[in-house]
Amino acid sequence: MLRPQTEQDLADAVAAAPAPLRIIGGGTRDFGRPVDGDPLCVAGLSGITLYEPGALTMVAQAGTPLTEIDAALTAKGQRLPFEPTDMRGLLGTTGTPTIGGVFATNASGPRRVQVGAARDFLLGVRYVDGRGTVVKNGGRVMKNVTGYDLVKLMAGSHGTLGVLTEVSFKVLPVPKAQATLTLPDLNEVDGLAAMSAALGSPFEVSGASQGMLSPDCRAPVFFRIEGFASSVAYRADQLSQLLARFGQVEVTTDPVASARIWEDIRDVSAFRDHAFVARMSIRPSTYPAFLFDAMNTFLSYSPKARGFDLMTDWGSGLVWVGATAEALTRNADVAPDPGSTDPQLLGARLLMDYLHSFCAVEGGHATLIKGPRTLREKIPSFQPEAASIAALTAALRARFDPRDLLNPGIML
Amino acid sequence: MQTHFTPAQLTDPATKTANDILRACVHCGFCTATCPTYQVLGDELDSPRGRIYLIKDMLENNRVPDATTVKHIDRCLSCLACMTTCPSGVHYMHLVDHARAYIEKNYKRPLSDRALRWVLAQILPYPTRFRVALLLAKMGRPFRGLVPDPRLRAMLDMAPRTIPPVSRNDHPQTFATAQKKMRVALMTGCAQKALNTDINDATIRLLTRFGAQVVVAKGAGCCGALTHHMGKETQSHRAAAANIRAWTQEMDAGGLDAIVINTSGCGTTVKDYGHMFRNDPLAADAARVSAIAMDVSEVLMKLDLPTGAARGTKVAYHAACSLQHGQQIKTYPKVLLKKAGFTVLEPADSHLCCGSAGTYNLMQPEISGQLKTRKIATIEALQPDIIAAGNIGCMMQIGSGTGVPIVHTVELLDWATGGPQPPALTAPGKRTPAVPILR
Amino acid sequence: MEMPVPDARIMAKKAQLVSRLLEVLPRHAVIDDVAETRAYECDALAAYRCPPLCAVLPSSTNEVAAVLRICNDMGVPVVPRGSGTSLAGGALPTADCVILGVARLTDVLETNYDDRFIRVQSGRTNLSVTGAVEQDGFFYAPDPSSQLACAIAGNIAMNSGGAHCLKYGVTTNNLLGVTMVQMDGTILTIGGAHMDAGGLDLLGVICGSEGQLGVVTEATLRILPKPEGARPVLIGYDSNEVAGVCVSDIIKAGVLPVAIEFMDRPCIEATEAFAKAGYPMCEALLIIEVEGSPAEIDEQLAVIKAIAQRHNPVELREAADDDQAKRIWLGRKSAFGAMGQINDYMCLDGTIPVSELPYVLRRIGELSVEYGLGVGNVFHAGDGNMHPLILYNANTPGDLEKCEAMGADILRLCVEVGGCLTGEHGVGIEKRDLMHVQFTAADLEAQMVVKDVFDPKWLLNPAKVFPLDSSAGRRV
Repeated sequence: MLRPQTEQDLADAVAAAPAPLRIIGGGTRDFGRPVDGDPLCVAGLSGITLYEPGALTMVAQAGTPLTEIDAALTAKGQRLPFEPTDMRGLLGTTGTPTIGGVFATNASGPRRVQVGAARDFLLGVRYVDGRGTVVKNGGRVMKNVTGYDLVKLMAGSHGTLGVLTEVSFKVLPVPKAQATLTLPDLNEVDGLAAMSAALGSPFEVSGASQGMLSPDCRAPVFFRIEGFASSVAYRADQLSQLLARFGQVEVTTDPVASARIWEDIRDVSAFRDHAFVARMSIRPSTYPAFLFDAMNTFLSYSPKARGFDLMTDWGSGLVWVGATAEALTRNADVAPDPGSTDPQLLGARLLMDYLHSFCAVEGGHATLIKGPRTLREKIPSFQPEAASIAALTAALRARFDPRDLLNPGIML
Repeated sequence: MQTHFTPAQLTDPATKTANDILRACVHCGFCTATCPTYQVLGDELDSPRGRIYLIKDMLENNRVPDATTVKHIDRCLSCLACMTTCPSGVHYMHLVDHARAYIEKNYKRPLSDRALRWVLAQILPYPTRFRVALLLAKMGRPFRGLVPDPRLRAMLDMAPRTIPPVSRNDHPQTFATAQKKMRVALMTGCAQKALNTDINDATIRLLTRFGAQVVVAKGAGCCGALTHHMGKETQSHRAAAANIRAWTQEMDAGGLDAIVINTSGCGTTVKDYGHMFRNDPLAADAARVSAIAMDVSEVLMKLDLPTGAARGTKVAYHAACSLQHGQQIKTYPKVLLKKAGFTVLEPADSHLCCGSAGTYNLMQPEISGQLKTRKIATIEALQPDIIAAGNIGCMMQIGSGTGVPIVHTVELLDWATGGPQPPALTAPGKRTPAVPILR
Repeated sequence: MEMPVPDARIMAKKAQLVSRLLEVLPRHAVIDDVAETRAYECDALAAYRCPPLCAVLPSSTNEVAAVLRICNDMGVPVVPRGSGTSLAGGALPTADCVILGVARLTDVLETNYDDRFIRVQSGRTNLSVTGAVEQDGFFYAPDPSSQLACAIAGNIAMNSGGAHCLKYGVTTNNLLGVTMVQMDGTILTIGGAHMDAGGLDLLGVICGSEGQLGVVTEATLRILPKPEGARPVLIGYDSNEVAGVCVSDIIKAGVLPVAIEFMDRPCIEATEAFAKAGYPMCEALLIIEVEGSPAEIDEQLAVIKAIAQRHNPVELREAADDDQAKRIWLGRKSAFGAMGQINDYMCLDGTIPVSELPYVLRRIGELSVEYGLGVGNVFHAGDGNMHPLILYNANTPGDLEKCEAMGADILRLCVEVGGCLTGEHGVGIEKRDLMHVQFTAADLEAQMVVKDVFDPKWLLNPAKVFPLDSSAGRRV
C-alpha cells in the first residue's frame, strides 16, 4: 500500500504509478464498482491547516480524521452543517472517516434538504490529477467565482478526477437548541404531504424524514427544527398547528434524544442488517408513484413477505431502498433467468435495474450503496448516464486522468 | 459613460445638456427591466439603454438619422418607467425629447409618415377640429376594411362610439366656492375636451365643493405635449408659450395657488415648461408656471377631503405613466380613493405602460395593442367593479378593450362626496357595476 | 485591454452568415445593421466596447441550437448574452463574433411548491423569478444587486451571489438543473428537480463557466419559503478595524445574519448626498439584517446589539417598521448610483478573508493616494466580498488606464491576503489577465481542459476568463 505523507509524495506516487490505484482515506465508504488496483492511502496527509471561526472557514489536509475536525469545530461552537453520513454501521467497515472521503463522496445527511450538500460547503481543493500534477481550485473565501468551479466537479467524483490533498470548507454555528417533531403513524402519501407542507413553511425545518415503512406502508414522520431556544419553541408550536391535520404531533425537546433520532436517519441505521441498500435522489412528489409502482413490481409479489424496506429523507427527495438476502432471492422469481446460478444476485440485479430505470424516466438517480461484491462487479452501482452526458463524463476523465489510474470504473 | 463630443459641439446648450445626461448613464441596464417595449420585443435596441446608445451615436457624430435609429426612437413610449428605475438619475425624458426634435429637423420621413404626423398635429390639439374628425371617423368606421395603413385603421378603431357635446364649463370663466381656501387655474386641455367632458365637469364640482375657486384662464389651451413628443418643437413651443402667457397673466391678476391639470400626460409637460424654455425669453415665466403646476390629486390632498364610509366597491387603479413616472405621483390617487371609501386594488406590473402614450397607439398600433392586452389582463385579473385612471389617454386605450367601466379618479371622488354618478358607469356596452347607492 | 485580433476571414463571411441565420430565425431576430449592432457593443462594463458581426435573439432552445450549429459549422465565435448587466465584460463581443442574446426566452415553464422548484427559460430576470412565486409565499434566494434586470442565464454563467448569500448561498447552491446547448448544437439536460448529481457534478462546473461551455436556455431553480419577517440594524463606527472586529464577533457568537453590508466613509458621503437616507457620517457603516419570526428577530438582534455596543458605535439604529427598514437599505442600494453621480467608476469584486479587512482597506486608501483616484468601498462583510468603486473620468485621456492599473493592484492585494480576484461578478475580460496572479499554469490548464471537452473548437466566448497567452494555442 502506498501511504504518502506529503502532497509532493503523493504527486510523485501517482506520476510513477505503473498500474491503477485504489484511493482510500479511512476506507469507510466502500461502495461503487470494486477497484482492482494498488491501494493509495491519503490518511498520511493529516491535520487542520487553518481555522477561522470568525470567517466560518476551515482548511484541512484531506486525510484529516473527521473526529479531529469535529472536535476543533465543537470547541468553537461550530460544525459541518451538512452532517456527513457515517457509513461504518451500514457497510460494516471499520476505519476512521476522513474529511477528504466526505467530500470525495459528497456525503450529506438530513440537513442537506435545508442547507445544501457537502459540495455546497466545499470552498477550495488541492488535488493531484492522473498525471501527478498538483492543481488548486477555489480558495478559502466563501464567495469566489474566479475561473471554473472545479471544486464542485471534484466533490462527489470519488477520486476519479484527482486525489484530494487539501480541502477548505465553510462551517456554521451550532444552534443553541433543537427539537424533533414526530407524526407517529402516516402512510407515504400523507407523509409526503406533511413534509412538503413543513418544508414549504417559513419555520426553517432542518430535517424531514419518514422512517422505515411497515408492510401496510405506514411509518412515523420526523421533523427537526434548530435555533435559539425561544425560537425553537415558537416554531415547534407553529409547525404542530400546521401539521395538526395529519395528526397529533409529538415534540422531543431533549437534545440528546432529538440528536439520536437524526443520527439514526443520517446513518440509515434501520438498514444495517440488509444485504442490499441503495439510495435514490428523486423529485419528492414522485415518491408515492414509485412506491405504488415498486409494490406492483416487487413488493406485492409476496405481500406478506418482509425484507423489502423503504425509508425517506430530505422530504422524500432521498429514498433509501433496502432488501434482505432472503427477499432478494425471492425477488429473482420476478424474472427467472435460467442462466443464473445465484438467485440472490439475480434478484439484486433486477431491483437495481428497476431503480435505475425509474430514475431514468422520472428524473433523479439511484446508487447502490451496499451489496455483494460480486453484484457490484457485475452491474452499474451508479445511475447510467444519457449518451451525451456519458460522453462528456468520459472525455473529462480522459483528460484529468489520461492513464486511467485513479479509481478506474468505481463510478460505473 | 464616456462621450465623444468636441468642445465646439458642447457650446450648443442642447448638446451640452445631452452630454451631461449621457455622462450620468453607467450603462447598468436596470432600465431594460421596466421598459415596456423591451418586455414586448426583447431587443436591446428597443430599451432605454439601447436608445441612449443610438442617440449618443447620432448626436456625437452630427449624423443624419438613419431609418433604423428613427424606428427605435419612435418605438419609445416616453412612459419614463426607465427614469423611475434608473439608479443614476439619468434624465431620459430630456434626452429623448431632444433626440425627437433632432430627428424632426434632420430626418426626412417617408411621405405617409409625414402626412400622418401632420394630420395628427393639425387635429388633436384643436378640440373643434378633433370633434369634426371624430365624427368623420365614426362615419368612416364601416369602411375600415378598405383602409390600407394599419395606423389609420387604429385611428378609426380608437374613435369613441359617442362624442359628447361641447361643455360650457370649458370656456374661460371663474367658478366660485363657498369657503375659499385657494384659487386655482384649471387646464381644460384639448383632446380631452372633445373626447370626454365629464372629467372637467367633475373636477370643477369637486374643487369648488372643497374650497378652491377655479379659473379657466383665457388664452390657455393645448399644453403642447402631443406635438412635443413628435419632435415638432416650433408647434409645441407655440402652444406652451400661449399657456405660459395666459397663466402668468392670471397669476399677476388674481393670484394662483396652483395650476390644476387632470390629464397627467399634460401635467408632465407643463411641469417641464421651465426646462423647455430655459434658453428662451419666457424662461422666468415658464419656471413660475411649472412651479405651481399640479396634478389634480396633489391639489386634492391639500384640500382635505372627508373620509367616506367603506362601500365595498372594488376599484382597480391604473397608474398612468405620466403620473407615476413622469411626475412621480404614486400614492395620492390611491390614498384619496381609499379615504373616499373605495376598495383600491392595483394590477400586477403596474409600472408598465398601457400602450396609449399620447399618439403612440395611433402610430405604433402593434406594440400598443400588445401592451393594451397585457394591461387589461392584469386589471381584469383583479375582477374590479370599476377602473380608475388619471389620464384620458389611458382611459381611452383601456376602455376600448374591456367591459369594465373606466372613469377618471376625480369622477369617483366627486361621486363619493355628493356629485352625480359618473356617466361612464352606465354607458352602453359596459358592465354596470354592482355598486351600492352612494349618498 | 487587449482583445484577440478579429479574424478577417470570418468578417468577410458576414453576408453568408446572416443569410444562413435568416434561414433558421425570423428577420426581427437577426440584427446585422451596423447602426444597430452598436447597441450590443458592450455590457455594463462600458469602458470596453466592440460591435459584434451581428446579434441574434432566438425564441426557443431549438433556435439556439440551430444558430450554434451554423456558427460551429462556419467557425464563427459566439458570445452569449443575458441582460447585458455584467460588470466584468462577460458579454463583450469581438468584431468577428455573433452575440447570442436570450432576452426573448422569458417564460415560466413549471412551478412546483411541493417539490419547491421553478423551471424557467434562462432569459427571465432574477427578480421576476421571485415575482412568479411570491404570491404563494416563496422566493428565489440569490439576489445580485442587478436582480431587477439581470437574467438567470447570466446568473448561471457568473455564479452570481448577492447581499443575502451568507445564509442562502449563491447561484450554484440554488441551481438544480439546466437545459444547455453545446456549441455543436447538442441539447443537454443536466440535473433536474432532484438534488445532487448522480455521476460527476457537471452542473457544478457549468455554473460559473461564463458562457464558455454552452448556452443555458432553461434552468430549474430551488425556491424557498419566504421568512416570516426580516429586520435590519444600522451600526456606525469610527474605525474600519473596529467594524471588522464587530462582524467577526457576531459570527463567532453563533448568530447567522442573512446579510452584513459594510460601507466606508467616501461611500457614505456620496450616498448621503444622492439618496439622503439619513446615514451617520462615520468611517464605517454596517447594515446587518436578520430574519425569522418576530421573537427570533428580537433574540438575534439582542445578541448583535450587545456585541455592537461593546465596540462603542457612533450610531446604532434598529428599524422599528418597514419604512425605517427601507430607509436603512435605501442608501446601500443607491450606493452605486450615488458614486456614479461623482464620476465614472470601475467596480471591483475581490474577496478577502474577513480578518484582513482593516489591512486591505488601509492599503486601498494608500493606493488611492498613490494613483490620485478616489475609491469608495461597499462590502459584503459577512463573506469578505469587496466592491471597491474606483472613480475616474472616462473623458480624460489616460484616466481609464490609471484606473485599470489601480484596480489590478487592489486585486493582487486581495489574492495576496488569501482571497481571490472575483467573488460574484466573474472574470470576464476585466480580470482575465490577472488570472496568473491567483493560478499557476497547471491550475489554469486544468480548467481549460474542461472547455476543451465541452467546446473543442473554443468558439464560445473564447477571449474571456483565461489569459490570452494561456489560451492562445486553443483559440482558432
